Order: sequence, then structure tokens, then C-alpha cells
Amino acid sequence: MSVAGRALTGAIRGYQLGISPLTGPRCKYHPTCSHFAIEAIQVHGAFVGTGLAAWRVLRCNPWSNGGVDDVPEKGERLFRLTRNNAAMLNQSTSARLT
Amino acid sequence: MDTLLYPLEWVVANIVVIWHQIWAFIGLDPTSGITWALAIVGLVVTIRAALIPLFVKQIKASRAMQLIAPDLKKVQDKYKGKKDQASREAMSRETMELYSKHKTNPFASCLPMLIQAPIFFALFRVLNYNLGGDAGPIGLLSQDLIDQAANATFFGAHLNETFFNSEGMSAKIVSAVLIVAMVTTTFLTQHQLTRKNLPASALEGPMAQQQKILMYALPFIFVITGPNFPVGVLIYWTTTNIWTFGQQFYVIRNNPTPGSEAERQHQERLAAKAARKAARRGEDPSAVVIEQAPAIEDESKRSGQRQQPKRKNRGGSKPQALPADDTKDES
Repeated sequence: MSVAGRALTGAIRGYQLGISPLTGPRCKYHPTCSHFAIEAIQVHGAFVGTGLAAWRVLRCNPWSNGGVDDVPEKGERLFRLTRNNAAMLNQSTSARLT
Repeated sequence: MDTLLYPLEWVVANIVVIWHQIWAFIGLDPTSGITWALAIVGLVVTIRAALIPLFVKQIKASRAMQLIAPDLKKVQDKYKGKKDQASREAMSRETMELYSKHKTNPFASCLPMLIQAPIFFALFRVLNYNLGGDAGPIGLLSQDLIDQAANATFFGAHLNETFFNSEGMSAKIVSAVLIVAMVTTTFLTQHQLTRKNLPASALEGPMAQQQKILMYALPFIFVITGPNFPVGVLIYWTTTNIWTFGQQFYVIRNNPTPGSEAERQHQERLAAKAARKAARRGEDPSAVVIEQAPAIEDESKRSGQRQQPKRKNRGGSKPQALPADDTKDES
């Protein structure tokens, strides 16, 4: 991962450990916005990953219904209005995440 | 940064000035620090009142939760006792999918919190640089008002003084009191949420333990950051915390999470109310209570896992060892 990617991931980990427990669970999606951001940066790099994460946070608004929304694979269409992989319930977890 | 936040700062400054004028109109002394402190409280009221529609939406969503509670229970039973990460994640996936299928979601969503951060930052800048520093007038906040606010004292403390950057003891005492109030309200809000409004399944396991430690430790972050904040910001923050606590108290009391301690108390209150009503009508109050009883399921039966069929007289010479229990090595 690039330096920028590492810095961003570190900042998000800091949020997950330090700030998120204070506010309680609030994300409507799975994976949560912060996990999504880390994974997006891992897969697509710091620049595109940040864009994907920002788009996800915008979709995590009071008018959305939430649900399962995974980071799109490389080469897949990146920015959709609907969720990604919505139907793939049984292909359990994202294998990329440890 | 200056130009980016300027519109927000303009709005924040105007709201504070308008509230200051409202309090002055009601009869408070406009030069008094209390009036300025109440103007900041007014800012909190304005912002949080603007967010009430979102709050109502969230309550409606949690009402809809009652409807999908049986489905939710099925998912929970399926993963009951499984604490490894893959099962936890699969459970969370299925739960989230269930919410979206029924177009309801009990969570507040991430965006509003991120939007509130710039508002807070803008307030910090207005209080620090416009009211307290030499950034000059902004919006309705004229130089006269800035001078007036700079000279106003709230229990002897100027609104722009911080614990570290202040003269005399009064500002230190006021900010210390406010910091303690911030720590207390943050802790109480968190405590209320975890102790009362989470289902029992969420309160076990190593993650819950970690959360508990954080709950006790994290409010003290304000002890480190608080002394650098001006009294005005501390007033804003404490008021916001109190509002959050009250709002959460209301939600937990009236729309508790299914399976939580708060829900049990809610049911008890409803039952007691029904019994009182029945007694007033002259009926036997115990009849109502019995009606409620089947709702409490036998906990031992609540396993969605298929039981292994067993042959009555299993062959084999020795009694076989039980399969390894994967729930034990976690704890």
C-alpha cells in the first residue's frame, strides 16, 4: 500500500478504536462505512478508494435503507446508485478482510 | 479552510446573535455572560431542533423493527452461541440484508454525524477567533457585540478563556466544572445505551468486554482536550451532550431494542398499565398478566440449530467424547 493509503487506513483505524465506540453503532450498511473505506483503499488504492468511501458515506444517509454493500472488485463498475453484491448473501464474508 | 467554512461560520454567528437578542428582548442583561452563554445554548437548541425530523424518522424505523422482530430472532437463533468472527460477520450480513429487504433500519446512518463535525468546527472558530480573537465581525456579529461579549463574564469567566489560557481562578473553575459535566454526560449516554438497550447477545464475548473498557476510559479524552477549549465551546458541548442523553432516554423508554433489558422494563410498564386499567374497570388484574405470559419464551428452546438426530442405543464399546465445543475456547 502507498504511504497515503497507509496514512488514511491508520486514521480510519484510529476512528474505529477511539471515536466510534463513543457514538455507538450507527452505520446502516455491512460492512460499515469505516470498514468499507479500509477495504476500498486496499483494493483500489488511496485515491479511488477515498472516492468510493466518500460515495458510500453519502449513501449512508437517513433516507437510505442500508443493507449489504461490498467494495466492488477491480474492473467492476465502481459507482452505482444501488448497492453492490446485494444478492450474494451466502458467499459469506469478503475474503479480502482478515 | 477560511473560505470553505465561512458560510457555516456566518450562519453560526447569526444564530448566536439572534438568540442573544431574543434573550435580551425577554429581559436579560445583554452585557451579562449568562445571556451570551444562553445564546450558545440557543444555538444547540436550533441545531438539534433542525435535526428532529431525522430523529422522528429513526423512531419510526425502530417501530417497524417490532414487525420484523420474528425474522430477526430467527437469524439470531441461527448464530446463537457462535462467536467466531466468520459467524459474527455472516450474522451481521444477514441482519443488515433483512433490514434493507423490509426497508427499515434501526441505525442512525453515518452522514449526519459527519455533517455535524464542520458545524462544531465553525462554532469553535467563531468563538475562538471572532468573539475572542481579532478576526473581526462576521454576519450580524458586529464589532460592538464582539466587545460586549469579550467583556461579559459567566460566573467570572470570559467565554473565550480556556483552562490553560486564562487569568484568575474563576475561568479555571468554570471550565473544570464543564469538563466534568462533559465527561459525565458522555459516560451516562454510553452507559445507558449499552446497559439497557442492547440485546443480551451483544453483551457477551470479547468485543463487549473491550467496549466496556472503552466506555469507562474514553470520556476521559475530554480531560485532555477540554482544557484547550474556550468556555463557550465547553458550554456548547455540554448542552449537546445533555440533549443527546435526553433524546436517547426517550427512545430507549418508548422504543427499546427487541431482546434488551429496556424492552423487558417497557413490557413490564405496559403490563402494569394494563393491570391498572383492568383494576379500574373492576376486573381481576391477574387475568391480564396471564395473557402476557406466553410472550416470554423458554430460553432453552430458542435454538434455531438443527438438533442432531440420535439413535437411542448407540453402538460402540465406549461412550464417545463430545465434539469439541467451539464456544468455549473463545472466552
